[in-house]
Amino acid sequence: MKRVLIALCVALLVAGCGSKGGSSTSGKAAIEQRDVSTPTQDQQAAEEAAKQARIQQEQEQLKQQVEEQKRRQEEAARQAAAEAEKPVVKPLADSSMTGKALADPASMLKDPASPLSKRSIYYDFDAYNIKEEYAHLVEAHGKFLLEHKDLKVRIEGNCDERGSREYNLALGQRRADSVKKAMTLIGVPAKQIQTVSFGSEKPKAPGHDEEAWAENRRSDIVYVGVDAQR
Amino acid sequence: MKNNGRLDNARNTRTLSRWCLAGALLLCLCSATARAQLTIEIIGGGGDQIPITVLPLADEETFPQRISQIVSADLTRSGRFKLQDIGSVRPLPSEPNEVNYRYWKNRGTQTLVLGRVIQRTDGKVEVRFRMLDTSKEAQAVGYAYTVVTSQMRAIAHKIADVIYEKLTGEPGVFSTRIAYVARFPQRYELHVADADGANSQFILAHNEPIISPAWSPDGTRIAYVSFEQHRSIVFVHNLVDGTRRVLAAYEGINSAPAWAPDSKKLAIALSKDGISQIYMIDADGTDPTRLTNSGAIDTEPSFSPDGKYILFTSDRGGTPQIYRMSVTGSNVERMTFEGNYNVTPRYSPDGKSFAFIQRMQGRYSLALMDLATRQTQILTDSQLDGSPAFAPNGRLILYASIVGGRGILAAVSSDGRIKQRITSSAQDVREPAWGPLAANR
Repeated sequence: MKRVLIALCVALLVAGCGSKGGSSTSGKAAIEQRDVSTPTQDQQAAEEAAKQARIQQEQEQLKQQVEEQKRRQEEAARQAAAEAEKPVVKPLADSSMTGKALADPASMLKDPASPLSKRSIYYDFDAYNIKEEYAHLVEAHGKFLLEHKDLKVRIEGNCDERGSREYNLALGQRRADSVKKAMTLIGVPAKQIQTVSFGSEKPKAPGHDEEAWAENRRSDIVYVGVDAQR
Repeated sequence: MKNNGRLDNARNTRTLSRWCLAGALLLCLCSATARAQLTIEIIGGGGDQIPITVLPLADEETFPQRISQIVSADLTRSGRFKLQDIGSVRPLPSEPNEVNYRYWKNRGTQTLVLGRVIQRTDGKVEVRFRMLDTSKEAQAVGYAYTVVTSQMRAIAHKIADVIYEKLTGEPGVFSTRIAYVARFPQRYELHVADADGANSQFILAHNEPIISPAWSPDGTRIAYVSFEQHRSIVFVHNLVDGTRRVLAAYEGINSAPAWAPDSKKLAIALSKDGISQIYMIDADGTDPTRLTNSGAIDTEPSFSPDGKYILFTSDRGGTPQIYRMSVTGSNVERMTFEGNYNVTPRYSPDGKSFAFIQRMQGRYSLALMDLATRQTQILTDSQLDGSPAFAPNGRLILYASIVGGRGILAAVSSDGRIKQRITSSAQDVREPAWGPLAANR
């Protein structure tokens, strides 16, 4: 249908341009022009008939294409339905997969199934101790760092907006340092761990309510060169 | 009586904001860099206000800055004056010999300010003002200043300072400057503005946080903490030549700069030796000497005006509380005992009290402790107040607050009676610091 419309438009445009050219020609060239460009009644009728035929042909083709497509889709759906009823037989995954993942620590850190994909430790108000529920997380990252001596982390301490900015800056440092200390206690060399405090200056949650505050009382474990800098 | 007071306050607020708006528009025309203009609105007042009549100075309307209106706005904003209307006698007097004292006394005018602005042939402007005591039928004070037109606003503030000092016995702070941080999306700006919020210009701008600006007592430098290198580093910024240098960039936090009264040393918080502790450091960044040794957080030092003591915040007792020590770090004494969160101490300019932030029932309020009686007065009743900064005459305390999710500046008189709210076109304004009195007063 679209194609038909376009064809019609083109035809109209061509006709329009032609008549415009004729009327704007100067008197001197008028006779000559009449001879060349003014078609006779017969010629016009013939051209019109040819055009109509072309349009009809194109319409026919389009119709056929659409029907063909519909037929193919129906066939594919039938095949899929038949396939679904068949028993599924798949080869078992190679169990040496872990070896491959270790060679690419970045992918392991990003695997949502791995505890290492979790990087945040949350705190109570004015507290910097690592709560029991986050101890295993810190330990997992510590062990990972022990296995990957070439990796470095930056622990970023954050606080909620309440209270003093300066006290929060010191508290955020203490939060980050407490994570570092827990890691060094299981043997991670201190040189693999940097700490920084953003205090209450870079709140992840923008709100001014308990939900936002809880999200912002946080230390993040950032793998240098692996994670994007915030 | 009560109604009258309210009407007057409302009128003053309207007039003030109209002036601030006019000033802001003018500034926008003059300066493309000033994006965060402040508007000061008085939201409380009363008490014993001194009545005063400030007449338009003769011919002042031919200059871009109308002196009498700036003076009136300054006096009103202080909350200590009641501006009276200018009566109906015309022409207005501009010299004492033109004053009909009987008329002004009958109107209840005790203090009358008048004067004239004269365009001199050398292009300069002479501003003459006198303050008359109508009961004595005599001049209380009077000055003539010769200035260029660009200084007329500054001269108006100076006149307001003279009037304020003559009538209250305390120095006025209308010629001082303030610093604050304006936050826009993805941008932080450290601004310096006149005390009335006019002429606000940023001296530092980047897309990382800036906190804790602190004026040197000589008014030439501002120390602050900038996160431009993705961690806290203390800089000292020279306001005279615009240069700056790193004061402290040790491992861990570098923060909370506070100037000693001699402007030669600063107390700062560093965590280079483990946990945040207070150090004394030369203003050129050399020679940091450790003052505290607590194994707990010590931060937010504030010098007593005589330079003998330092107040600071510490959680050595389990919760953050305010302590005082000698300037060498000895004789540590706990100052706050009410509540489990008392932070950000700031000595008053007379050294007799200190402002701080106290958490009570989930509210973080501005409080004031009298050092002689150890009594605490709560000055504000909002949710999240912080960063108090005394005016150099001790009368007002600027602080940061959050209203409707937006950071604003506010001010309260040290007796808690006068309140101002200062808003800006910026997304947030915060971290106010009040500069010292002008040296050449």
